[in-house]
Amino acid sequence: MSCEKFDWKAYALGELTANERREAEAHSSTCEGCRGELAHMRLTIDTLSALREEEVPRRIAFVSDKVFEPRWWQTFMRPSFAAACVIAAAILAHGFMMRPAADSAEIQARVDQAVNKAVAEVEQRNEDAVNRVDRRVVSLYTTTTGIKYQ
Amino acid sequence: MIFREAEDRDLIAKARKGDVEAYNLLVSRWEKRVFNYLLRLVSNREDALDVSQEVFLKAYQSLPKLDDPQRFGAWLFRIAHNEGFSLLRRRRPEGEMPLERGTPVRGSELLPVELSVAVERALGRLTEDQREAVLLKVYQGFKFEEMAEILSCPVSTVKSRLYTALDLLKTALAPSIGAPAILRGES
Repeated sequence: MSCEKFDWKAYALGELTANERREAEAHSSTCEGCRGELAHMRLTIDTLSALREEEVPRRIAFVSDKVFEPRWWQTFMRPSFAAACVIAAAILAHGFMMRPAADSAEIQARVDQAVNKAVAEVEQRNEDAVNRVDRRVVSLYTTTTGIKYQ
Repeated sequence: MIFREAEDRDLIAKARKGDVEAYNLLVSRWEKRVFNYLLRLVSNREDALDVSQEVFLKAYQSLPKLDDPQRFGAWLFRIAHNEGFSLLRRRRPEGEMPLERGTPVRGSELLPVELSVAVERALGRLTEDQREAVLLKVYQGFKFEEMAEILSCPVSTVKSRLYTALDLLKTALAPSIGAPAILRGES
């Protein structure tokens, strides 16, 4: 039987002030009933912690169609777009630096062709990536809101 | 905990300015806690996941109304509490009391998995209000004042629910943890 003056549940749950704790501890050292009550409460709380915390089965998707729309400058900041620019610049620089002393129309045409081909490839990859993101956003929107995206 | 609050505060400030990535980070910091709280409250994985999703969506929409970013945790769990109980109310006809679930666990020296099951069953035998009080205090570590804020009730009610729940759990779990007779209150 514990003494009613002391709130051992609050003690075990860490809700007492430092002074209250000291007072309770001084009392429990001389009271077998209170020691037993506190020991059992601690054992119960420790046992409750045996309940395994579960992992979230899938990532909580957060989507808001408006905020997901990229701003105009973000389009130019996309890695794929930036990569396209770098490749195009590199090809142009290569073509410029490696050209023979006497420019020929044929070499210029080859450079142009190479540049166009590289840009087209990168643009295609860029478009594919954007389409993949769009599909994902539509899927998340539908999952989140239950409304079919128009 | 202090660092966590400081980082949450930064993320909240950014999210309020429309930084979705900041909010996604905030979600990833809190989703496990919210999901586990709801899982124990509604006792169904799919429902807990759906409600968690709803909680974070509502929190994002209401973020401008959050007065004190330092109290984000209690504020978020207030939304989770409302959504969880809204689901529980939809599940059962009006006025019907929740059913007691589970069976008493016998035996001692249980393996961790068995002990986890015993705890789950013991929690299942509590009323929803009592179980929620245990979830918020023991598993989520909220202070009495924060719990009162989350549950919209006085601290005295919080303590009453929690203390009753702990007494019931103490009795229910005593055989599982092999508590000596003196601790079980037997003479």
